[in-house]
Amino acid sequence: MQFGGKTWLPPSPAEALEQGIAMVHQHFSLVPRMTVVENLMLGQARGVLNRAAFAARISDIADRFGFVLDPNAVVGELSVGERQRAEIVKCLMRDPQLLVLDEPTAVLPPSEIGALLDICRRVADSGRAVILVTHKLAEIAKVADKVAVLRTGRLVAQADMATADMGALVQAMVGREVKPLDVALDDSEDSAVAPPNQPGFALVCDGLTVLDRHGATRLDNFTLEVRPGEIVGLAGVEGNGQSELGMVLAGLLAPTEGRYFIGDVELTHAGAAAVTAAGGGIVPEDRHAVACVTAMSVAENMYLNKLDRFTRFGLLQRRALNEAALVQMKEFDVRAAGPDVAFSGLSGGNQQKAVLGRELTLDPLVALVAAQPTRGLDVSAVEAVYRQIRAAARRGVGVLLISSELDELIAVADRIAVLYRGRLVGERPAEMNERGAIGALMSGQGAI
Amino acid sequence: MTVLALKMPDRRRLMALSIPFAAVVGSMAIGLLLIAISGKSVPDAIEAFIDGAFGTAFAVGASINRAVALALIGLGFILAARANLTNVGGEGQIAVGGIAATAFALWQPVADLPLGLAVIVPLLAGTLAGAVWGGIAGVMKVRFGTNEVISTLLLGFVALLMVYWCVQSTALLRQPQTSSSTLPESLPIPDATKLPGLTGDPESPLHIGLVLCLLLALATAVVLQRSTFGLRLRAIGLNELAARRAGMPGSLLLVVALGIAGGFGGLTGAIMLQGEQFYLKAGFSSGYGFDGLVVGLLSRGSTLGVLAGALFFGFLRSGGISMEIMAGVPAALTLVIQGLIVIAVAGSVILVEKLEAEQR
Repeated sequence: MQFGGKTWLPPSPAEALEQGIAMVHQHFSLVPRMTVVENLMLGQARGVLNRAAFAARISDIADRFGFVLDPNAVVGELSVGERQRAEIVKCLMRDPQLLVLDEPTAVLPPSEIGALLDICRRVADSGRAVILVTHKLAEIAKVADKVAVLRTGRLVAQADMATADMGALVQAMVGREVKPLDVALDDSEDSAVAPPNQPGFALVCDGLTVLDRHGATRLDNFTLEVRPGEIVGLAGVEGNGQSELGMVLAGLLAPTEGRYFIGDVELTHAGAAAVTAAGGGIVPEDRHAVACVTAMSVAENMYLNKLDRFTRFGLLQRRALNEAALVQMKEFDVRAAGPDVAFSGLSGGNQQKAVLGRELTLDPLVALVAAQPTRGLDVSAVEAVYRQIRAAARRGVGVLLISSELDELIAVADRIAVLYRGRLVGERPAEMNERGAIGALMSGQGAI
Repeated sequence: MTVLALKMPDRRRLMALSIPFAAVVGSMAIGLLLIAISGKSVPDAIEAFIDGAFGTAFAVGASINRAVALALIGLGFILAARANLTNVGGEGQIAVGGIAATAFALWQPVADLPLGLAVIVPLLAGTLAGAVWGGIAGVMKVRFGTNEVISTLLLGFVALLMVYWCVQSTALLRQPQTSSSTLPESLPIPDATKLPGLTGDPESPLHIGLVLCLLLALATAVVLQRSTFGLRLRAIGLNELAARRAGMPGSLLLVVALGIAGGFGGLTGAIMLQGEQFYLKAGFSSGYGFDGLVVGLLSRGSTLGVLAGALFFGFLRSGGISMEIMAGVPAALTLVIQGLIVIAVAGSVILVEKLEAEQR
């Protein structure tokens, strides 16, 4: 790595700061109960605290780069955008040569994005370098001089913004590499089978809106219908509302607005048990946090939501439970030493197959919501997951497949909807030649 | 998983038993040294300890009664601990249980009930009062996110003051004030409401609380290891979100778990009152809640562990009181020795766990 013309590898964050590299992280490091001045004095003031002088410096910097920030406001009462400005001022007080912003617009409401980009421009004009890390191409197009595309840790494209071809950049972002995964994907003997045209809906989301506790909109008027036997892919870069949608559909988070049905049953505020009873199978994106109790046995995990079936006079019929689990392990190819070994001892692939098996054997099963179901799995497990999802759809289950892997969605889904900043920004057929169009939607072009 | 160390290979089982044993012997030796330093006669102290703990049939009975109280608190503790809840409010739950049991036992219609109901109704009242006291902490946890360690502890202090209030006010439970020397205590409860003795011998303090305790220990073991409810508590304790996703009523389970733990505490209070003390006075819970908490902590979640620990601390308490009275060892010193033993046992339990983990 070269910095300021010298080869350099910073041994510590403090060293990097010392050398003039400042970074605004996605998650702010401010103390909510202290004022802006007090926050900024942390780590910078020595000896006697001089609030007034510090406040003057803050106002001075804010003026110079053209933004408004009240130094005496309590951080906890500021909007996300104002907090971000406080973070930026914190960096600028050290007079850095290089300012790095990590996904700065991910947390901002659309109305504040323009102001942030203006600040970036002013900082750059003052003779400092700015690196803006984002997946939102449209923002870069507005403000950047140069653009570089990073995919799976590698630099795959570089261009001057003035001459760059947006289509080529999108292609570079979403990529198309020959990976072992493709074996599983291309083996899709039945992906072309048209969905059976069954009446009614398996899953209906009607205007779902989720505000987080800061009042920021994480999911914005999300409306989508999935028919029985249909696989709908939901594409989008992670952090664009998928997690919130998953929690709502799992019955673990009440939406701020909107309604949600499985079959004919409204489940908006009904809770997880009702989702299961209505026939909603859920494969959550965070397996360890939501789908299983890793310290408990394989059998206990595979029947975690059906324990009543093995209960007589309040006692758990362990033998019956283990026998049933053994059958199900065979059916879904869950490889473990036995039904009573700890779930934590299984590989990720086998854990996921067990979770999928549990959710697919719901009776009735009307809809399946699978979020990032193949993340971190080996090729054979990925193939098994796809096979099971397709088989479920053939049986008439409506599937919502939430994924950030475009290849996966194109291979498995019938149509693909795109989520950007918590909103549905478009829908395309799941075809290879739509990659560019879907990629553009994912990076927010035509949607900012 | 299994009760205590029954399934371990012999060598490891030996280790799991010998380390705590050595720790207890070691800390007792330090205790004796402290007694010698304080200028008291060590042989006298040992004799007093043995006399008080198991020297006579009476002493054994009293020690076992103490163990019953400690075991019940410990059982409630491990039940709630299965749901990852730490109930440190045993002392207060004993107190409210004692208040309720006294109030019902002193109510004439209850004392006149036939068929042993005169005994059972105050026991149930005490249990219910304790369950409500524990349940309040549970509701606070699921509604407001209050940490149950803090809420059970503070509710405990409230309960202790309530006992004080009850025995200070004649409008509540204080006996009628006939002279200026009337103590701030309740009237003694009627004989009909006292727990029946276990042996025919009227001199033996041993009462049916022991039988009740053993039955409840068995029930606790079954609930924890064989029941679906026990498995659900475990799931909630290990991963609350996953348990909720699996359709378990998370909030209800947490409230019920703390309610049961509190119920055990309330029952303890009723048994202490109806079995031995027979009238309510300030400070009547005298630390059993906290000692029972230690028993629960040291048991590593095993029912047999609770019973063993309760017996040990029951005898230790009796011996300590006797040392204080007969050998003149300062009360503070016996507390120090008890503390040493707790630390030694707790430390050795952790050591055994560590060694087991290394061998795995």
